Amino acid sequence: MPAPSARRDLGFCEISFEKRPELVSIVRRFVSDFYDRTLDDPDATSRVALATHELLENAVKYSRDGRAKVRIEVTGFGERVRVRIKTRNRAEPADAEHIQRTIDEMRSMDANVYYLTLMRRNAARTDGSGLGLARIHAEAEMAMSVRCRNGTITVSAETEVLLARRKEGAA
Amino acid sequence: MNEIALPVAQAAELRARLTHDGGALVAKLSGTADLRVTDSVEAILNRVHQKALELAISEVQMDLRELEFMNSSCFKSFVSWISEVSDLTAGQYRIRFLSNPSILWQRRSLHALSCFAAELVTIEASN
Repeated sequence: MPAPSARRDLGFCEISFEKRPELVSIVRRFVSDFYDRTLDDPDATSRVALATHELLENAVKYSRDGRAKVRIEVTGFGERVRVRIKTRNRAEPADAEHIQRTIDEMRSMDANVYYLTLMRRNAARTDGSGLGLARIHAEAEMAMSVRCRNGTITVSAETEVLLARRKEGAA
Repeated sequence: MNEIALPVAQAAELRARLTHDGGALVAKLSGTADLRVTDSVEAILNRVHQKALELAISEVQMDLRELEFMNSSCFKSFVSWISEVSDLTAGQYRIRFLSNPSILWQRRSLHALSCFAAELVTIEASN
C-alpha cells in the first residue's frame, strides 16, 4: 500500500493536431471519457473537459503555424487527485505577455467577481470573447499559468479533486 | 404555433428553432455551440431579440436542454444579448433558460448568466 503522499500516475494523454476547429469538440468528447475513467467524479469531469476545450480552442485559434498540442496528466497524491492540462503552440512573445497580464488581473481578485467584471466589460466587444481564461478560472475552478520559450507558448491549467469529494459524488 | 425563420442554415453541429405560440417566444438550441458556429449563435440571438421587441413579448424561453456544449465565444454572445436587453428603457423582457441538469456545464455557465443579470434571467432545470 503506498504512503499517503506517494505520487501515483493515474492517466496521461497527449494529442497534437493541425488547425481544424472541428477537432476541438472531438478531442473534448474523447478527453471527457478519459477524465470520467480516471477521476470518477462527474462534476470534476465536466469542469476539466470545459477547461480543455477552452484552452485547445485558444491554442488552435492563435497558433502561428496552425498546429497545437494538448497534454493532460492526472496524478494521485494521497487523498488528492491533480489534473494538469497544458496546451502548446507557436506564438509571439506579445501573446504570452497578454495572457500573463490577464492571469495577473485574474489572481488579484475573487474568481467569480473577476468573471462578472469581465462579462460586463466585454459585453459590447466584437473581437473575440476575452472570457475563455476567466471561464476556466471561475467555472472550472482551475489555476492558470503561462510560459513562452523559443517562440512556443505553453498555457497550463491545474486543479485538485479530493478523494473524499469523489466518494461523496459517487454516493 | 408559428415557426419563425432564422438567418442561419441548420448545421450538423448546431440546430436551432424559434417559435411563437400565444404570448411565448421559444428558442431552442441543440448540438454543440463552438468555434465553428459563433457567428450563427450571434445571428440567432439577434433575431430572437428583434422578434421579442417586435411582438412585445414579456418573456423569452431559451431551451438549451439538448445543447451538449457551449464555448466562451458563444457564451459571450449570450452575455451581449442579455446586456442589450438590460439596457432597454422600453420593451424589456425576461429570459428563462431551460437547462438539463445532467449536462453539468450548464449549471455553472447559466448560474454565471443569472448573476450577470439577476433581475432578467431565470433558470429552470428539467430533463
